[in-house]
Amino acid sequence: MDINQYMGMFLEESREHLQALNSCLLDLENDPGNLTVLDEIFRSAHTIKGMSATMGFTTIAELTHEMENVLDLLRKGTLRANDDITDILFKCVDTLEQLVESVASNSDTAIEIKPLIAKLTAIAKGELPSVAEQHSAQTATTQETEASSGEPSDLDDMEINVVTAARKQGLECYEVQVSLRLGCLLKSARAYMVMNALEELGEVIKSVPTVEELEKENFDNTFQVSIVTSADAENIEAAVLSISEIEKVDVVPVIIPEITEKSAAVADIQAEKPIVSNLDNKVAIDKPAKQAASEHNDKKHKSGQSVRVDIDKLDSLLNLVGELVINKTRLEQIGLTHRLADLIETMEQMDRVTTDLQAVVMKVRMVPVGQVFNRFPRMVRDLSRELNKEINLIIQGEETELDRTVIDEIGDPLVHLLRNSIDHGIEHPAERQAKGKNPVGEVRLIARHEGNNVIIMVEDDGKGINADIIKQKAVDKGMITQAEADKLEPAEAVRLVFLAGFSTADTVTDVSGRGVGMDAVKTKIEELGGMVDVETKIDEGSRFKIRLPLTLAIIQALLVKVSEEIYAIPLGSIDSTINITSQDIKTIQNQEAILLRGQIIPIVRLAKVLNVSNTCQQNQEELFVVIVHIGENRAGIIVDTLIGQQEIVIKSMGKLLAGIKAIAGATILGNGQVALILDVGALKQ
Amino acid sequence: MSELTYSGNEIQLVVFKLGREEYGVTILQVQEIKRITEITRVPHSPDYIKGVMNLRGSVLPVIDLKKRLNLPPEEYTDDTRIIIIKVEDINVGMIVDAVSEVTTIDQNNIEPPQTVVGGIAADYLSGIGKLENRLLILLNADAILGIGQEVKAS
Repeated sequence: MDINQYMGMFLEESREHLQALNSCLLDLENDPGNLTVLDEIFRSAHTIKGMSATMGFTTIAELTHEMENVLDLLRKGTLRANDDITDILFKCVDTLEQLVESVASNSDTAIEIKPLIAKLTAIAKGELPSVAEQHSAQTATTQETEASSGEPSDLDDMEINVVTAARKQGLECYEVQVSLRLGCLLKSARAYMVMNALEELGEVIKSVPTVEELEKENFDNTFQVSIVTSADAENIEAAVLSISEIEKVDVVPVIIPEITEKSAAVADIQAEKPIVSNLDNKVAIDKPAKQAASEHNDKKHKSGQSVRVDIDKLDSLLNLVGELVINKTRLEQIGLTHRLADLIETMEQMDRVTTDLQAVVMKVRMVPVGQVFNRFPRMVRDLSRELNKEINLIIQGEETELDRTVIDEIGDPLVHLLRNSIDHGIEHPAERQAKGKNPVGEVRLIARHEGNNVIIMVEDDGKGINADIIKQKAVDKGMITQAEADKLEPAEAVRLVFLAGFSTADTVTDVSGRGVGMDAVKTKIEELGGMVDVETKIDEGSRFKIRLPLTLAIIQALLVKVSEEIYAIPLGSIDSTINITSQDIKTIQNQEAILLRGQIIPIVRLAKVLNVSNTCQQNQEELFVVIVHIGENRAGIIVDTLIGQQEIVIKSMGKLLAGIKAIAGATILGNGQVALILDVGALKQ
Repeated sequence: MSELTYSGNEIQLVVFKLGREEYGVTILQVQEIKRITEITRVPHSPDYIKGVMNLRGSVLPVIDLKKRLNLPPEEYTDDTRIIIIKVEDINVGMIVDAVSEVTTIDQNNIEPPQTVVGGIAADYLSGIGKLENRLLILLNADAILGIGQEVKAS
């Protein structure tokens, strides 16, 4: 089997399950006895194990296998989750993440899993402090275990009756414990073969897990079957072992606990048709399990209604739709020039369809921002432990949708902001109490729509940012002069944190304070066509606000013309357009500038920046200026003519032309011509 | 006889003209051949990049191959074509004066470029193919696109 073709799927699904593990473990930490969460954890671990074994990544399979052993104990209630156990499980998830990433990057760095496995087996053996709790936990949860767990000889009354009756008829009852080989594919098929073989020898009265579970592969590598048969133990063992991929078979006679007179009597009555009646009863017994199973099935069914699609395919779909729109425009042109009324009418309808189509394709690319958010609870937990702070992370609006391309890029900046809030913002509990605040700090991560933008905010109720300290630092580092600092409003001073090389942490910690954070955040967000701003109040907290465009693929832009060339300027960075005469342009130290509503605005001649030949600007009396904002600054761009506002589809120019100065990308105009999109930020240099 | 036997050493080439010279590029790299269309100039790009074109909805860089190979420029004619090649996932168009044919050449008939030509242009060639009485200059597409140039520079 060529596994490479499944590689992408394996990686993606593993990452998803690891994510699920992380969030479920967090839930478990808060609610150690929650069985649904445990089940979910178990399922995820199990799926990872299955997938990795199939793909031949034995280390991953081995580690998840050991995890499962512990999880199984937790699920059965023989063990109760405590901080030590969850910590180790978290470590396992981290290691699994590393393992999966090393598979992804094809590196063969050895990742040591032995210590973890040793710890897991220790837990499984009950050699950790939690043992003390074991007993009480066990009694507390016997009710649950009774129906589903697989303790040997754990037969209910009915089954005991069957066994006794069978013995009276000279039959023997065995419990067969079958272990499949580790890494066995198609476990359910093997289990089915085992069942078949056993049924030929006698009557199967019970299996753990249930037959349904076996069929769904909802079991580990081992399962138990109780069988009433005339054959002896060796025969059974031989029959089972003749099936391939069986690791081990243990056949032991069922030991029946003290039989009371009454049940023996019942057994006598039933002796004639024991097995049939027992089967009926068994169905009833299994009902709760079945119900749970069918609920689980429903869940599966629902998730089966979505399709995983490669983002490249969506990109090409978008390309095709774009092409369709372009061709439609051409057809319209033909209709107009040749005055074909019929064609024009048809085109109007087609216009509606293509517009809808475009909207749908865009929607398909949207992904809820929760995909990025859901890894943060874990991160915040780890950080708060590391820093000895108590933090409550509140996430809101995780269903807000953003374009896939934005989602992929927004994670890192958010990590920076959250770390920053936790490290610098939130104070230590003692300090908070002294200030009369709740010792538990609060960090909020909020996403919401605002017009054509998505706002993501990181808020904390920490100590806020002290503008004076910021100013002082900036002066000390020589970023601004003392005179400049004195003139700065507090709100503006706080924005200095976004300057490159700025760090306010008095001590550089592992978490943040290396001075690369905030400017990196700003650069990244601006690359995504967004903006970031900060508001703060001393001792009340700070709020970082990120404004992102809904999509990177389609933007509103102003088309301008320089000589014969057409360029697009993203509308998001345009303030206004004005007409000036050449007399309005003044020069300040050779830099051209204009005065607009009392503000000095530097001027950039687009023709000059882009080396456009034979422009008419020099001898033109009236000039068109597009006022753009670059961060907090503004600049005027002189162009020859303004064409108009239009929705454009952003296209990459490919690796060969990546990083070309002043050009952010390209788009295809209605007439099929390629127009370049200006990178406003890079113009002003 | 020899023409019919398939040796496994043969490569198929798309043959095109630049001025009076005949060039070849391996057919495996050629995606398609288009007539010249409108090309948008890209400011601040290397001089051999003619600009970008629209290929069915995607934007494609176009190389002025003559400029890249230091050949004198000529007006475009009806024969001018853009050969679209794909090298290491990069799609790029190359402007050529004309595309003449697809032909097969035995690798034994290919000489290393250094023995025939010197200078900068030699880097962009992967060999000279001898085909009866013709000489085909075989392009090294990787070098034309500048792939691996950083390695060379260091």
